Amino acid sequence: MPPRDDTPPAPDPLLEIRGLTVRYGGVVANDDVDLTVGRGEVVGLIGPNGAGKTSLVDAVTGFTPSDGEVRLDGRRLDRLPPHRRRRAGLARTWQAGELFADLTVADNVAVATQRRGWRGFVADILGRSARTGPDASLEMLGLGDDVGRLPDQLSLGRQRLVGVARALAGDSRVVLLDEPAAGLDTDESEAFGQIVRVMATHGHGVLLIDHDMNLVLSVCDRVYVLDFGRVIACGTPDEIRSDAAVVAAYLGEEPVS
Amino acid sequence: MDQLVLFVTLGFGVGSVYAVIASSLVAVHAATGVLNFAQGSIALWGVWVAAELGTTGTLVLPLGSVALVDGPAPALLAVVVGVLSSAVVALLTHLLVMRPLRSAPVLSQVVASVGVMLLVVSLVPLRFDTTGAVASPILPSGTVELLGAQVAVADLIVLALALVMAAVLAAYFRFTRWGTATRASAEDETALRLTGWSPDRLAALVWFATGALTGLVAIVASPSIGLDPISYTFYVLPGLAAALVARLRSILLAAAAGLAIGVFQSLLLMMSTYDFWPIWAQAGFGDTLPFLLVMVALFVFGKAIPERGGVQSARMPPVRPPRTRPVLALVVVASTFAAVLLTEGGWRFGVVTSVIMMLIALSLVLLTGYLGQISLAAMAFAGTGGFLLSRVTTEWGVPFPLSLVIPALAATVLGVVVGIPALRIRGAHLAVVTLAGALAIQTFVFGNPAFTPFEGNQIQDPSLFGMSLAVRNGTVLTTTSFAVMVLVVVGLLTWATARLMRGRTGRAFLAIRSNERAAASVGIDVAGTKLLGFAFSAFLAGVGGCLIGYSRSQLSVESFTVFVGLTLLCTVYVAGITSLAGAVVAGLLAPLGVLATFLEGTLGVGHLYSLIAALALVITAVLNPVGITGSVRHASEHLIDRRNARATS
Repeated sequence: MPPRDDTPPAPDPLLEIRGLTVRYGGVVANDDVDLTVGRGEVVGLIGPNGAGKTSLVDAVTGFTPSDGEVRLDGRRLDRLPPHRRRRAGLARTWQAGELFADLTVADNVAVATQRRGWRGFVADILGRSARTGPDASLEMLGLGDDVGRLPDQLSLGRQRLVGVARALAGDSRVVLLDEPAAGLDTDESEAFGQIVRVMATHGHGVLLIDHDMNLVLSVCDRVYVLDFGRVIACGTPDEIRSDAAVVAAYLGEEPVS
Repeated sequence: MDQLVLFVTLGFGVGSVYAVIASSLVAVHAATGVLNFAQGSIALWGVWVAAELGTTGTLVLPLGSVALVDGPAPALLAVVVGVLSSAVVALLTHLLVMRPLRSAPVLSQVVASVGVMLLVVSLVPLRFDTTGAVASPILPSGTVELLGAQVAVADLIVLALALVMAAVLAAYFRFTRWGTATRASAEDETALRLTGWSPDRLAALVWFATGALTGLVAIVASPSIGLDPISYTFYVLPGLAAALVARLRSILLAAAAGLAIGVFQSLLLMMSTYDFWPIWAQAGFGDTLPFLLVMVALFVFGKAIPERGGVQSARMPPVRPPRTRPVLALVVVASTFAAVLLTEGGWRFGVVTSVIMMLIALSLVLLTGYLGQISLAAMAFAGTGGFLLSRVTTEWGVPFPLSLVIPALAATVLGVVVGIPALRIRGAHLAVVTLAGALAIQTFVFGNPAFTPFEGNQIQDPSLFGMSLAVRNGTVLTTTSFAVMVLVVVGLLTWATARLMRGRTGRAFLAIRSNERAAASVGIDVAGTKLLGFAFSAFLAGVGGCLIGYSRSQLSVESFTVFVGLTLLCTVYVAGITSLAGAVVAGLLAPLGVLATFLEGTLGVGHLYSLIAALALVITAVLNPVGITGSVRHASEHLIDRRNARATS
């Protein structure tokens, strides 16, 4: 395992995080985290419960105050409110899905891509109808038959997929997926892995957080390991499998074969 | 100096009532998570029961009455029975209304407690002889000298009483096991249930006790405050302000803040007698105080004011965005037009008023039903529109279509100002701000002699291209041309609003309503969109207010009181606050609309209107949160499902 300062940067960095620190009162949830995600790259983020994975996503997307730098394609985002970060191309999903209960699946995605604020207001009154076909991301995630349904008519696993489609839609360039495969069975999880690879070939940068180690280690180009809010290891899936510190912190006694 | 002391002690009477209401609000919130807008009404009922007993010896119940003694009852009996009445009203409010709604959306809880508040206010003038009634003195009438001023003993006793009550309440919560359990229920009701306590019984006890305390302090203070069929009801606003200053946590702090508001209002009264005090600040300034205080408190503490954990609160009633149905729209417009042509006199006036009220109802559907922001200020925005209409037509001579736009834009600005707190707070707290704002606008602007000319707010009749659109023509009460003008204006705005609801804006509104942080995470500017909602909603209400102004030729403040605003909220909620159809039905049911005309003209029971509205609201909130239009849709969908099922089998 190379020491942290020599972690190989992403080949073509799109999302760059430097020195990110999150404090909740006296508790340090993330301590000086550096992390990059490249164009077309799938990066994994793993770590035991409470390691600070979700807090990192919250901080990067602007939902938790933090110190440190967040850049997307060179542009500083760390002083912007969440909705401006999303408009800049940094999208996320939520562990609990957090879909809009009153909107259909198609509208849940459409609301992320439509014209906003005053321009949407004027277009509503004077312009053409906002009813367009469902977003391509829904088809890609295999949700084509569900576009007319309301979120609570779907299983939890499929609700999370709608959340992924919502994050992918529009002009997003990097997506942070917070446990998107929880609630999917083995086959669905494998299929989801394929989809994540497809996202990368479309040029998205993907940061994948999941407890399903097979999923993470099989689809990611690089993997970061968090423990107690710090990055304790970073490398290719093969390097991570054999890293002693990671094994001790997270994987248990036996390396995953 | 002695004058200062005098006015400070004069503030003790009202301040003590505020203090006890504020402590009760904090206690009830701790026990049930509800902000009880009816706490002032609970006091109002007890005060009148005691006063009636003290004068005639008759115990008045909501239905029927019992002669307890011949002639005036002794003071002690009157006080005890009055206090019991308040306590029973509070307990019934809990058992019949708030407990069934404990896991309902905040909107239902707010409108239900507003419903109880209105119910009592509409019942009092029906059940008591409110003209010339006096509360007979209960406390000794002497004075003592304090720091050089002659101070009424009664005021000091009331103050001491209020302080003792607040201390007792605080001690109950802090030092008794029951009180600790009640506080625990605020943290986690389910966990408390598992430890063998019944949160419902603990809550019932708190409701009963706070009802009794509020009743007692109000009854004892009433001889010095005076009897009034409404005012005690709105004492809940300073109480709410004080409770929010205490962050809904500390009973003692809430009591202190309530007392301070009362004293400060009294000092304002003293200042207004001085020469340096500006004329515009002489009237109604004291009523704006709670509003300003709430705003400051909410901005300073913001998210530190707790929302209740525990039982997951349910979703707002579901929304179906309006579909494009030109045929239906045409039928509605045509039948309204037919209704205008086929009616005359009072009925036609009712039809036109219903059309106007529909517009104001629509502003509530948009803001509360779609965006999820509970606003009790719609009628104040309408009033602002009407108020300015009088100015722009009589003083500046602005011609007709523009004369609607300018006041409506001013209302829009005001809407944004009242909406700014919505960026920090939501739910019931926002309702408090908007109610306080509405009352501030009512007393400080509409009711202020400095802004309102002595001869009233005259309004120039509208005309377009030389054609008169005046509402009256000779003996015709409502002209066809005026009715057509109203139809066109309301129709156009409704059409635009329907497009918004169906379009991107409606989607963004619903997204914010169901999940604000998820909305931010998909790129929606939550703050900006909320302000847009407040702005457009206030614009609609402002235009509605102008149309009301035109239909009266002279603006009366009575059309736009907080009371009318709350009644309108009742009707919109009863009709269905989440749909366009709900707004249409609400227009028919609204004050002075078709239903009111029917009650007044045909049945001759117009005075029962607000009572019926309040009852319908409470029943709807408890039993049928989707409203009339919602249940009609449920029924029709059910029928279609059954027919389809039969067809396929």
